[in-house]
Amino acid sequence: MAAPFNRVYRPLWRIITTTTLNKVVRNVSSTRRQWSAGVASPWALHGAVCLQRLPVVSQDRSPIEESFIELMRQMELERSLLSDHELRLLEDAARMSRKQEEDYDSDEEEEDYRDKEIVTAQDLEDIWEQKLKQFQPAPRSQGVDEKDVSSSERCLAESLILLVEKDVGSQKLWLLPQIQWQTGETLRQTAERALASLPGADLKATFLGNAPCGFYKYKYPKDIQKEGGVGAKVFFFKAVLSSHKHLPLEKKSFAWVKKDELQDFLKPEYLKQVRRFIMAL
Amino acid sequence: MNTLLNKVLLLQNTQALVCAVSSVQSQLLTTHMALGVLLTNRQYRSMPTHGIGKYRHLLPKALPKKKKDRVQVKQIKAATATEFGVFNVCVSGYDMTLVEHYSQYIHNLCNHLDIKVDESYALPTKSTEVMLMQEQGTKMYLDAVLKTHERIVQISEMKATLFPIFMDVVLKNQPEGVRFCVKQHSETDFQARFKTRPELEGLLAKINN
Repeated sequence: MAAPFNRVYRPLWRIITTTTLNKVVRNVSSTRRQWSAGVASPWALHGAVCLQRLPVVSQDRSPIEESFIELMRQMELERSLLSDHELRLLEDAARMSRKQEEDYDSDEEEEDYRDKEIVTAQDLEDIWEQKLKQFQPAPRSQGVDEKDVSSSERCLAESLILLVEKDVGSQKLWLLPQIQWQTGETLRQTAERALASLPGADLKATFLGNAPCGFYKYKYPKDIQKEGGVGAKVFFFKAVLSSHKHLPLEKKSFAWVKKDELQDFLKPEYLKQVRRFIMAL
Repeated sequence: MNTLLNKVLLLQNTQALVCAVSSVQSQLLTTHMALGVLLTNRQYRSMPTHGIGKYRHLLPKALPKKKKDRVQVKQIKAATATEFGVFNVCVSGYDMTLVEHYSQYIHNLCNHLDIKVDESYALPTKSTEVMLMQEQGTKMYLDAVLKTHERIVQISEMKATLFPIFMDVVLKNQPEGVRFCVKQHSETDFQARFKTRPELEGLLAKINN
């Protein structure tokens, strides 16, 4: 994890800076002041959003898990005591068998039997079974083709990430939605703007925090570099899709992909950085 | 000097009391014992075996039993720029096993990630009666009783950089049928856990009116 590594790293850095000479330290501070005054960094800042559609249903169990669950259920059943309803069933059955005998005397029965005579436990069970048959559980899959990446209803058991196809320079690339940072706004607002500016999409998302989760740095090709700006730095923010029902997006430019399908869409360098913060279940 | 004289006198006394003993060792032993019993000034602090039988200092400090104080309202820590304050993670649902297991999962995750968990408690179960109209007639009859269970894990001083990761993990592992929400902790939340005292409130109302 990054956190413990930082903890080890920081004291070392502090030791190095404290042992440097005063002259060097003064120089560093003066250049820092200069930098904040107006010298722009050659790197352009971008904010990007990693929009995730969370899993809707739980994953299917593997065969070992199935057999283990069956075993545990059976053990629990064998160890359990009889419930009130089951006791009543047994009593009713015993009462029925006693009724069939020749020397049956109904006065010998208990007081509270007379109320239960009308509706026995077996009748109740039958009524409940009828009700259960009328119950329709929601389907586990919405019937969408699993290979259709443009639908967000695919693979309900896993989390999906939104990818956008964008023109970068001369070529079309698949990326996480990103947009350039403007002065005066926080990077999280940039990411929110990136989400809102997607054409044809009405996506309501909840951002998980103000801190970015990932970072990617790339240099412009040589011919663009002369105009100014060495490259761009992209900061990724995590967000969770809150509204499930929205208008279907344009097929060509949007994709909802699982983590293992990312390699089919993203460039290797970009993929390496993005993979670090995307968590598959 | 005084002690030496005492010793000499006692020696004479004990020799008279004790029977004729030949060995020096036995004499010394008996004189030691007699010294321990008869002497009041504690000369044997310098002896290496001084305090040999003491054990009270080894027992844990038993504080005097104090009566249970009224549960104090803890100071709710405010959020700083890099850390959240105190917030509650509420897990609620109808299935108690799922709710409990999920809250235990969150608690264990916090322990594993070194996130400070202040408290982990359960709110009282709420029963909802589902009443259906009868087919013939206007009377409502009881169809089912649904119980809502709620478990709360209170977290404090969580780093803002860790929070999106934590939320991501917890949301992705949320089981079906369990409601999950994160709320800021407040004074009212704390007071809501206590029982109401109707007599006290009645008396207060009388005083105010």
